Amino acid sequence: MAMENFKIAATERSPEVNFDFDGCRLSLRGESYPEDASTVFGPLFSALERFLATIGEREFVVEFDLTYFNSSSAKALMNMLKLLDHAARDGARISVSWLFAPDDDTMKEFGEDFSEDLEHVAFNLVAVEPAA
Amino acid sequence: MVQGVGEGATNGSNRTERGVDSVMLAKYYRAFKHDLDRRGIIFSFSGYLSEGILYSLGEALRQKMTLEETNVNTVKKVFSVFVEQAQNIIRYSAEKVAGESDHPIELSSGMVTIGTENDRFFIVCGNVVRAADEPKLRQRLELLRGMDKDAIKAYYKEQLREEPDEHSRGATIGLIEIARRASIPIEFDFDPIDGESFFFCMKVCI
Repeated sequence: MAMENFKIAATERSPEVNFDFDGCRLSLRGESYPEDASTVFGPLFSALERFLATIGEREFVVEFDLTYFNSSSAKALMNMLKLLDHAARDGARISVSWLFAPDDDTMKEFGEDFSEDLEHVAFNLVAVEPAA
Repeated sequence: MVQGVGEGATNGSNRTERGVDSVMLAKYYRAFKHDLDRRGIIFSFSGYLSEGILYSLGEALRQKMTLEETNVNTVKKVFSVFVEQAQNIIRYSAEKVAGESDHPIELSSGMVTIGTENDRFFIVCGNVVRAADEPKLRQRLELLRGMDKDAIKAYYKEQLREEPDEHSRGATIGLIEIARRASIPIEFDFDPIDGESFFFCMKVCI
């Protein structure tokens, strides 16, 4: 059964979400500070759960390219990462990349903090020079 | 902040029944503006806050700091504290107007002030809280005030892993985020209004 790809355009306070089911890729880009993070992350979480149930042997590549998020988004991101880690524990091949600008201490520290709780996914902290 | 400052405000004879005498208008607001400037205020918003207003004020704040070549990490800290404070007002201010049930819009009254003093940025929020909510808020803030940087970071991580508290709508982690970005311990105060409410105020320096 083919699943529809899941795309959400960025808004002023929420990130661009690009979930390519066939390509086995998910990316979040931009900033996230909605007052109620569940409006953004709720539908994504459901799509992720459906997708993980069908993943099989394929490698799933997840990329977080966020420049700022508020505390309620941080909580939602943690829940997403937990879900990914549980799926990896159960055998899924999952790699997570956490992108940050080299001078952005906050996003780097968040990446380090999140990675400490992940035991099963392959987690990469990647310093990326912003495009000129 | 406005009352009692400048000639227009202190001298009753300058005022008419309806407010400021038109002859005194410029003097009155010049004094008001001067007082804001004297306190190092970049901007101060008082009134009903919405997510849209938060976004616009936040953009203005970031533009201002970026134009002045403020360190990128300082800009992020100030912006983060501003967002968490404004969202706390939106969530918890006891002064609210809510739309019809099919219009999920909620306006909450409060004040957010951002400025500089002693080479630091400061962000102050103020809003009315219900007396019933005061002890828990005070307790949370006192706990954070007693923690050093490492303890605050550890507490943040602990709260991140916790399942959400149904009643708090995320306040605990928002307050920890604020404390985490602060350069010196956060200051806060409660001023009793009547038996049912307090004016709550918090000042964060970065």
